[in-house]
Amino acid sequence: MSTIDITEDVIRVDHFVRGKVVPGGAVEYRSRDLGVAFATPEIDLDELVTPRSELPPLLDVKVDEIIDFLVACGERLVLDENVYLQEALEHIVATNPLPRRVVENLFRRAQDFLTTEGLRCSIETNFANAAALDGWVERVDLHGNHGALRAFPPRMIHMLAGNSPTGCISSIAQGALVKAINVFKMPSSDPFTCVAMLRTMAEVDPDHPVVQSMSAVYWRGGDERIERTLYRPQYFDKIVAWGGGDAINNVIQYLGPGLQMVSFDPKTSISMIGPDGFASDAVIDEIAEAAATDVAVFNQEACLASRFLFVEGDRDGIEKFCERLQQRLGVDRDTASEFAHPLPAETREEIEMLQLMDDDYKVWGKTDGRGLVILTDEPVDFHPSNKTANVVHVDSLDDAVRYVNVATQTIGMYPPETKQAMRDRLASAGAQRVVRLGGAAKHVMGGPHDAMFPLQRFVHWMSDEDA
Amino acid sequence: MGTAVERLTNLARAEDRFAAPHAELRNLQVEAMNERFQERKERIKLLAFRASEADLDAIRSLDDAVPLLFPHSAYKSYPERFLTDGKWDRLGKWLGTISPYPIAPIETSDVVDLDDWLARLEANGNYVSCSSGTTGKSAMLIASERDLDWSRTDTVGVFSWGSGVEPAQDRRMFGVGATVESPKNSTIRDAQAAAFGDPRFEPFRLPVPPITVGQLTKMVVLRKAMAEGTARPEEIADFEATSKEREATLEKAYVIAAERLIDARADKLFIASQWNALYTVAKLVREMGYSGDDFHPDNCIYVGGGLKRAQLPDDYKEFVHETFHIPANREFQNYSMQELNSGMPRCRGGGRYHVPPWIVPFALNEDGDALLAHGDGEIEGRAGFFDLALDGRWGGVITGDKVSIDFGPCACGNAGPSIRDDIVRYADLKGDDKIGCAGTVDAYVRGLA
Repeated sequence: MSTIDITEDVIRVDHFVRGKVVPGGAVEYRSRDLGVAFATPEIDLDELVTPRSELPPLLDVKVDEIIDFLVACGERLVLDENVYLQEALEHIVATNPLPRRVVENLFRRAQDFLTTEGLRCSIETNFANAAALDGWVERVDLHGNHGALRAFPPRMIHMLAGNSPTGCISSIAQGALVKAINVFKMPSSDPFTCVAMLRTMAEVDPDHPVVQSMSAVYWRGGDERIERTLYRPQYFDKIVAWGGGDAINNVIQYLGPGLQMVSFDPKTSISMIGPDGFASDAVIDEIAEAAATDVAVFNQEACLASRFLFVEGDRDGIEKFCERLQQRLGVDRDTASEFAHPLPAETREEIEMLQLMDDDYKVWGKTDGRGLVILTDEPVDFHPSNKTANVVHVDSLDDAVRYVNVATQTIGMYPPETKQAMRDRLASAGAQRVVRLGGAAKHVMGGPHDAMFPLQRFVHWMSDEDA
Repeated sequence: MGTAVERLTNLARAEDRFAAPHAELRNLQVEAMNERFQERKERIKLLAFRASEADLDAIRSLDDAVPLLFPHSAYKSYPERFLTDGKWDRLGKWLGTISPYPIAPIETSDVVDLDDWLARLEANGNYVSCSSGTTGKSAMLIASERDLDWSRTDTVGVFSWGSGVEPAQDRRMFGVGATVESPKNSTIRDAQAAAFGDPRFEPFRLPVPPITVGQLTKMVVLRKAMAEGTARPEEIADFEATSKEREATLEKAYVIAAERLIDARADKLFIASQWNALYTVAKLVREMGYSGDDFHPDNCIYVGGGLKRAQLPDDYKEFVHETFHIPANREFQNYSMQELNSGMPRCRGGGRYHVPPWIVPFALNEDGDALLAHGDGEIEGRAGFFDLALDGRWGGVITGDKVSIDFGPCACGNAGPSIRDDIVRYADLKGDDKIGCAGTVDAYVRGLA
């Protein structure tokens, strides 16, 4: 563009390599979403790779001790006291579309990712015998053959997602729990939080094997010089990648024997509301609030945010619901702000057109990011974003199943019994998670992600056999 | 004197049409845009909507016109299901929101496919040309008889000015590209043949079955079915087999084109195509042992469209020019887009695209919602244009292109505004660095790219 101001401040992005901070400033980039300039250090590729002749630093550290360390680090994640988080916050608001207050709230909750119960729970749901993480576990088969098994630490690259700054905390925890040697590739919309987290951890104990096993760096996704060099089975076992499209296609070309991808795919979430939801004004108020919570979460930047709401029931009640939903979308919440960014131009264009076509469509709200509800009888073509809900009036929720596909993640349902009645069909169509309406962002601890238990896929299952 | 629109569009026949400085035309252009606005604001629904949103009742300045420029996406803002599910009535109604002329009701109960629907519209004087989107939606550009008449003259004037080739009916016409059938494309083809073609020879057209928008739409429909998981494996296999057959037919056709060009090498040629087809045919001609001096020394080429993601070697232009013996002073380039109805030919003296008086250029900010300060020098921004010649749809568009417009004189001697030959699409400038967990089922469809 023509108005690039070359005197603007370039944000310094530091890297963190195996326990040490590498100060930034050498290589300049621009953030993808908001076009902000930042400068990283030069990457020393040798530093990012631990030769296979070296045993992983965490190999002999017990899971309990790792959990204790993670929890101790979690206790330092207090925004008001932690300068690293404070600094990251200031930078994120420049590079990330999320509003400051939402990022603040996410940071205030960062500790919740690192609780003893939560971490223990994910170990227990992921591994039939968690002892295999700490040592060799004996086993005997039906014929009396003896053997031993170990969930050996992998070498991993984590391609972090950019839409939720605290997502990296889960990735750090996962990498630590499986005792991996980890390289975190940070996203351009937040090349800060992961390093802030790791610096916090280094302050707790700079020599701790968890800290020594972690590196966080930024390079532009698709940079061949770095990716062609690093993405080799001699250096890494697993690449954990979020997203789809170019980000994944870049990685796929490097996969092969010995180098596998564990992908957290791009997802769309929806809601389903049965006729009971429109029975009375009181119920309509209640479900409008629940639905708004699910739609607005992270200003709809997240995969679990609902975008299409399939509704069955009385038309007047549904229209009343749409009106209430639009009002509730404009509410300032812990994880959503009154105003998201305005809708992208192409979407605005399609919505304008829907309004001009009158009859079949009804629209509540504006494209200003404060909440928009579009009532149709078939899903709209575009991807609703920035707090936009497409309410689709279907004759029966059974008809909505055909809109569920392999990209569908969470389905928020009302009334809750609908889950039991429909969950098998929804799973068959490709969905991954059914929840109560309003509960998209609430989780039962230790559950699967993307229809799998990732930790057991991360580790290198080493077998010792005496058959 | 006539209206401002007439005064500007009448310049189309003037030899020195690119000579007038922008400053001299600016007021007349604003007046002309306002004339268009006044006669169209009640008739084009989308324009009325935009005008009321912007609270405008007249265009009094370039700034006023900015909110009234339609984004290029406006012409594909119809819900895709209208097309994939064959909801022709609804699609017709949508078309009505961007057309200044009422869309005469047509019988749609027995419409077989998109081609059929388009043919019925055409019978009523509504000429709709579709872009050839295969993975995305096709833009539908409605035009009137007058627009086709304008195209007929404009295409000849643009080519003649840009290449120095006189419309003397003294060339053998060779169409060696596979173009999509549309009213606009066939109008341009026929007009060029009439102006430059030697009537003793039948124009050569690539011997392939006509590619219609309906066929391309089948890909869009199939892609959607693949995403939704309703496409059956046999359906996908069939489609891939058909695509392979088409490719084979096309390859054979290129060989025939090369042979016929060689047969005609002693004659003065007018070769029309896109770069990738031209390159393929040129390569075949060379493999058959001919090039350069074997051909007539005053040949010319008319190139339409961009590279469309084709991967060609860096020297593809030189390779094509040398093969067909195109003299250096015959090199022709044109900047235009399907949303406009007039071309901006590149001058041979300065290598810049010249904006004619009946196209109003706008240098906008990247978002396309504000005018940058237009001075006398060069300015970079998102291009917007108002084509005052357009009759069958609104003339104002915001493009997807990043351009440098110079409002000062060009090295070629013309004082009118010109655009530097380094146009890029904003879409191509974006990185691939966006990673998030939110996304659509589009990421799960393989093939049909």
